[in-house]
Amino acid sequence: MEQTEKALSPQESLRVIRNTIDLAKRSFRDNGFHFLLWGWLVVLASAAHWYLLVNRLHPNPEIAWAVMVVIGMPAALIREWRRGKQIQAPNLFHQMYGMIWLGYGISMGLAIPLAAKSGFSPVPIILVLTGFATFMSGIILSFKPLVFGAAAIWAGALWCLFLSPEQHLLVQAASAVFGYLLPGYLLNHQMRESNVPRP
Amino acid sequence: MYQDLDPLLLSQLRLAIMSYLMVAQEAEFNVLKEKTDATAGNLSAQLSKLQEAGYIVMEKTFRNNYPLTLCRLTPQGMAAFEDFYRDLKTYFDAKGG
Repeated sequence: MEQTEKALSPQESLRVIRNTIDLAKRSFRDNGFHFLLWGWLVVLASAAHWYLLVNRLHPNPEIAWAVMVVIGMPAALIREWRRGKQIQAPNLFHQMYGMIWLGYGISMGLAIPLAAKSGFSPVPIILVLTGFATFMSGIILSFKPLVFGAAAIWAGALWCLFLSPEQHLLVQAASAVFGYLLPGYLLNHQMRESNVPRP
Repeated sequence: MYQDLDPLLLSQLRLAIMSYLMVAQEAEFNVLKEKTDATAGNLSAQLSKLQEAGYIVMEKTFRNNYPLTLCRLTPQGMAAFEDFYRDLKTYFDAKGG
């Protein structure tokens, strides 16, 4: 860093701002853990719900979603607790990212019982909300596969218009594959690549 | 137009510190030193100037019994950075990009 008091030109000022903000932004990265965790759980729970429902194997086929609480929440909380101990300082991008998914969780907590109470399949609403949170994550991380994943999830929500509620569950599983799992594996790959020392 | 820009921020290191803190919200002295690639003496001098102007606050604290200096922007510092960026944008807009 230059040590003299020479005044910067406007061009140099803009370059310093852009480079430094980019540097700060890059310190917030994601290894795709949550996309992989929740992606696999949604695929498994949706498929199990659909299987129990169409074969009439259980009086409450939605019991399949218990995996989200039994496996998903403890795994996510442990992971965030560990990560919290490693983070040196808060980062605006990290906070925005957390707030988006917190808002998503609250919206889901409201939308699912509201849809169930009204006798509607909650899946299209879940997909609309999930598409939005995934889209915003893609923008914050500057990671296009998440933006394309969000588009796939929104397309799934639209497709539900033409399908039965039972089929919605299969669309949800497919949306999780394209919206969560594929971008999640790509994020994980990107993080591993960026951690490899360059020659 | 160029003359309207805050002279305190027309310094590479001070502008880098302010830009970094706008995103990171707070940073330890050593983190700022690493991110800005500055010497400890120069960084310390520029942080003092920003603190005197009321743009940042420096808090001396401890972590695991080790002393550390945390730097963060004040509301005045945030406003100064936003004004600086707006003035910079106005300058480029007036120049036609």
